[in-house]
Amino acid sequence: MVSTLQGHAWHNRFWSYLVLVALSLFVFMPMLVVISQSFMTNQEVNRWPPQIIPVNPTLFNYHDVLTRQDLRLDLWLRNSLVAATGHTIAVLVICAPAAYAFARLRFRASNVLFAVLLVTIMIPSQVTLIPNYLLMRDLKWLDTFNALVFPGAANVFGVFLLRQFFMQIPHELEEAAVMDGAGYLRRFTRIILPLSSNALTALAIFVFLGHYNDLFWPFIVTNSLETRTLPVGLTILNSAYGQQFRPMVLAGAVLSTIPILVVYIIFQRRIIQGVTLTGGMGGR
Amino acid sequence: MTGASANPGASLDRRPSWLPEINLKRREEMAAWLFLAPFLVFFVIFIARAMLAAMQMSFYDWHALRPSRPFVAFGNYEELLRDDVWWLALKNTIIFTAMTVAGTTVVALAAALAVTQPIRQANFFRVLLYMPSLLSVGAVGLIWVWLLNSQFGVINHGLGFFGIRPINWLGDPTLVLPALSLTTIWWAFGFPMLIFIAGLQGIPEHLYEAARIDGANGRQLFFNITLPLLRPTILFVTVTGVIGHFQVYGQPFIMTNGGPGRSSYTVIFYLFQTAWTSFRMGYGAAVAVALAFIMAIVTVVQFLVISRRVEY
Repeated sequence: MVSTLQGHAWHNRFWSYLVLVALSLFVFMPMLVVISQSFMTNQEVNRWPPQIIPVNPTLFNYHDVLTRQDLRLDLWLRNSLVAATGHTIAVLVICAPAAYAFARLRFRASNVLFAVLLVTIMIPSQVTLIPNYLLMRDLKWLDTFNALVFPGAANVFGVFLLRQFFMQIPHELEEAAVMDGAGYLRRFTRIILPLSSNALTALAIFVFLGHYNDLFWPFIVTNSLETRTLPVGLTILNSAYGQQFRPMVLAGAVLSTIPILVVYIIFQRRIIQGVTLTGGMGGR
Repeated sequence: MTGASANPGASLDRRPSWLPEINLKRREEMAAWLFLAPFLVFFVIFIARAMLAAMQMSFYDWHALRPSRPFVAFGNYEELLRDDVWWLALKNTIIFTAMTVAGTTVVALAAALAVTQPIRQANFFRVLLYMPSLLSVGAVGLIWVWLLNSQFGVINHGLGFFGIRPINWLGDPTLVLPALSLTTIWWAFGFPMLIFIAGLQGIPEHLYEAARIDGANGRQLFFNITLPLLRPTILFVTVTGVIGHFQVYGQPFIMTNGGPGRSSYTVIFYLFQTAWTSFRMGYGAAVAVALAFIMAIVTVVQFLVISRRVEY
């Protein structure tokens, strides 16, 4: 009996490693090729068969992509970080109190209101694109940070997630605070929020990443070189130089990825846990 | 409401003296609306109003550059029914979504099964395999458009070792959707993988032990225990996958610009074209509403499938 169990275990481990090594190659080869070729010259990249290892590694492409007049990777990165941070703060500040109201407070129309939110979450957000774009235009918000930060700040999914989490917090903890004379705001800020740091962090990470990686909305509401975000900038980089200067475009892709990978390496445990907790914000 | 000056032991009614006395129920109600107010402001402006406005706009011939916006009733929808590009975009989106959801689900399940075995580097592999999911569609597009390049791409080079002649992945109307789908599988399988890992860890170990004692082999364990008990997880993964990938836009936008011809037009790509290239806001709104309608049907069907009881 023992030997069959071990036999199973050995057999399983063999297949696991085979699958994992194959998948790791699938995941990593594209990244390695791109990183490697970003250190090559134009001539070296446009060669058949393709070279994987640069013969004379050069930093020229990185220098080039950072210094060209019509490319502003530094500004685009800053814009992306500032806008994503602002948006994330807005979402948390707006959604957490709303979630508390739905989780803990009795008020008329709470069920109706919640049902309305449920309906809107089923409707794809693209429906709002055109009216919100026209609103941005009329408010003269095009090409400003406001357009990147505030639309979408009412994150219905975030309210659902936090409400679910707040509801699991035992009532007794709040009742003890009531005995001490705490009002709703104090119960919310001193008891509910500190006990929900996991859910809040998970939500914050996903709102941030989602915004940082968004392409469609920043593409339509920004139009000057200085206000673009990184994903929009990358598409400009690709369409302007993809044919002629491929290694430079690859260098841009590598540079744009570094900040997000640093965040990932620091927060990997929280991010991995957060995906399961948030359901990945409804998938991609 | 309450300030930092609150002193412990104060009575429950801590209203400032200038406020009239109100009962606790009223106060709870008022607190609730104050907590909700910021959210409701943004919700009403950017979600509720926008959704209703899109519906309204879809009944007008609303061109961004023309002052007159005649009411056309269902004119935009009638045009949509006759619009070959719309139907092509819808067909492309369905094909892309089907391939991508099937691909990500299979790859993610394989990865999750491998990672949940008792191996030492499990966490390392989990972190590593989730990595592509964090890249922006911009970076993913730049990477894969080059890998798939017909002249100098590494993928064609690799296929050359097997005697396969260079393939024009993104230039061939029949191959462009599978190529975009492959790109997307690489990018997006991390999320379903993590969901599958959670699902697999939820299956009680004693079921496997009992089956092993009865002499079941690995394949029987998988098909008779793992797969049936994973059914709710598989449904969740496919539902979120369909909803997510149906909204594909960035990959064709960056990698093919909808081409060759229109063979990688997707619904959202077409929405972008009508509203921001042709400036037809009313017609674009009709496209968006039609998309919402289709997605609602798809979602309802999937929820009906999900809500069927799973028997253990």
